[in-house]
Amino acid sequence: MSRAAAGPAPPLIERRLWFVLGKGGSGKSTVSATLGLTAALAGRRTLLMEVAGQNRVSAIFAGASVGHERPVELRPGLFGLSVMAEQAMEEYLTGQLRMRPLVEVLSRSRAFHHFVAAAPGLAEIVTLGKIWSLATELEPDGSKPVWDALVVDAPATGHALALLDAAGRIAQIATGGPIHEQAERIEAVIQHPAATGIVVVARPEELAVSEALDAAAELAERELPAALAVLNAMHSPRFSAGDDAALEAALGAGPLPPAERAALEAAHARRVRELDEQGLLERLRDGVGLPVLELPCLIARQIDLPALEGVAEDLARERPPALFGAT
Amino acid sequence: MIAGELVDRRVLVSCGAGGVGKTTISAALGLGLAAAGRRTVVVTIDPARRLAAALGMAGLSDEPRQVDPERARAAGVELTGEMWALQLDAKATFDRLVARHAPTPEARDRILANRIYGHLSSAVAGSQEYMAVERLHELVEEDAFDSIVLDTPPARNALDFLAAPERMARFIEGRALRLLLRPGGGSTGIGWRALHAGSALVLSVLERLTGAELLREISEFLGSFEGMYTGFHDRADAVRELLKSDRSAFLVVTGPEPQPAAEAVDLWHALERGGYPVGGLVVNRTESLPEGGPAPIAELGRRLQAAGAADPEDLARRAARTLEEERMLAVRDLDVVEGLRAALGRPPVAEVPLLEHDPVEVAGLARVTAELFGT
Repeated sequence: MSRAAAGPAPPLIERRLWFVLGKGGSGKSTVSATLGLTAALAGRRTLLMEVAGQNRVSAIFAGASVGHERPVELRPGLFGLSVMAEQAMEEYLTGQLRMRPLVEVLSRSRAFHHFVAAAPGLAEIVTLGKIWSLATELEPDGSKPVWDALVVDAPATGHALALLDAAGRIAQIATGGPIHEQAERIEAVIQHPAATGIVVVARPEELAVSEALDAAAELAERELPAALAVLNAMHSPRFSAGDDAALEAALGAGPLPPAERAALEAAHARRVRELDEQGLLERLRDGVGLPVLELPCLIARQIDLPALEGVAEDLARERPPALFGAT
Repeated sequence: MIAGELVDRRVLVSCGAGGVGKTTISAALGLGLAAAGRRTVVVTIDPARRLAAALGMAGLSDEPRQVDPERARAAGVELTGEMWALQLDAKATFDRLVARHAPTPEARDRILANRIYGHLSSAVAGSQEYMAVERLHELVEEDAFDSIVLDTPPARNALDFLAAPERMARFIEGRALRLLLRPGGGSTGIGWRALHAGSALVLSVLERLTGAELLREISEFLGSFEGMYTGFHDRADAVRELLKSDRSAFLVVTGPEPQPAAEAVDLWHALERGGYPVGGLVVNRTESLPEGGPAPIAELGRRLQAAGAADPEDLARRAARTLEEERMLAVRDLDVVEGLRAALGRPPVAEVPLLEHDPVEVAGLARVTAELFGT
């Protein structure tokens, strides 16, 4: 609507608040870490956040204990923070009431705890409120925001949409009081394509790409500012059409020692997979209506932090337009 | 092979971290149970359109629909029982729950039209988990199926959905808020009064933040559920009892990567602690160890030269490297599976090998079924 007419939306790197969402298993957390590392290398003071008690960021930056009290520096310019709903709730009330004893009465009230735990959407809104307050926090002298980029490793798609929608919902439910007005202010930031950028992550698999297309359509319908699609874990091209004939001929040429057969079959399977993945990349590009960033498949026994850092260094150096915009 | 021993259970629950293939495993379980003569329904939570298509359905709805046995036969599976599938519609289930327990049609309509109810029943977080369990209860009560396979929703914590009914029932019952609010008669709004020290304070804080209007609406909403709490609680209790009994079994599904495997161990222990019967572990998409040792590059190069490769040695080297990566992943998978067996005290385990393509047709599902049932 009016927002869309305001001109082309800026690339992700120029926005402040990034939400990374995708189906479970799509690699949201590693993508969040990679994007966070890239932003930091590009000179942005960056906060990488995990929400809803998922300790994936801590797991990736093994050894770093990402707490919920204050941001922990993970790499130069990259900080980590875990946002917990219960604590965010207490912080919110402290800020609202400005009377510690009152907050303590609330915190001690069992009725209040039951209410917080069960009230649908309450955990989402306090989490979102906390993220928003970090995103709009200024340096003490008011000169500039504390964070240039905030990367949220969001929950799986359905729950992530509930998180992004939380402010709008609350603004609708609570028609009066400061909550209404606060929710509207949060909603304004979350929906503004100059402030917020949503990243849709998928693996190069048939079903995952379909779901990413659905998610992008859903975001558009809700007027939430999607900024980027990431096709994660792409196999880099190792075989080409020129190899096909020789591979097939060698495989068909009669009995082979097991190791050689296994190598030829592995090569053939990889080639088929590369072709499949290229097809899926095209499908995503055609349908998603967003810039698409490919991230490589890191073949390793487990999440390989140095390899992720290598990917981030490449991105910061090569500045792909999908992430950095046209130069 | 694990599922063979679970054929007689009334309810099988497949649970695990997101993205490990729970929906596929649930469908394969359903197929296997139907082949074993059971009248089976698979309850999916996620919109799994391609899975529906694979089962020969344009889409799944909240009402069970039967999979055409001809489709299974074409894939070489003879269904001596029946296979049905449905996709949870949380809002519709919630509406039925209200309709079932409302004392009068007027009370029902009042709740269904309530603004707070509208938000509550369509909230993804909370309501979906609650309604998955409620739908299960309906199916058990209707008694039209021998076996029910429940594909659990993508919860933040895979156990969340088990706690959901009670949490939600408690919210609706409004034990918390009713301590604070007393739904007042008359149109003047809130007729609350403090029940104990602090309540008035808590309430005044809430009112200050949200405005009196919202509190009045919530109060009305909770008031309209008056008289229904017992019904909600009884249902929550009944489902919990069923899920903890030996008529049920939980299957923990995981991928072979270290991260989901670690989550599977946590989930397994949490289920055991909660007193739920854990029937076995499914490790989905394991890479099998390639035959032979490392590829001899010189020989492979000569063979590729004879096959007409432009740069045979380079191609041989790339092929050998690809094989090495496969082997590394296969060894990792073996280690992870062994680690899981050890960590869980040697439970029944089924490994489902990685297929070239995701199983999106009955034939593919049947291969998964064979691994689960050891046929």
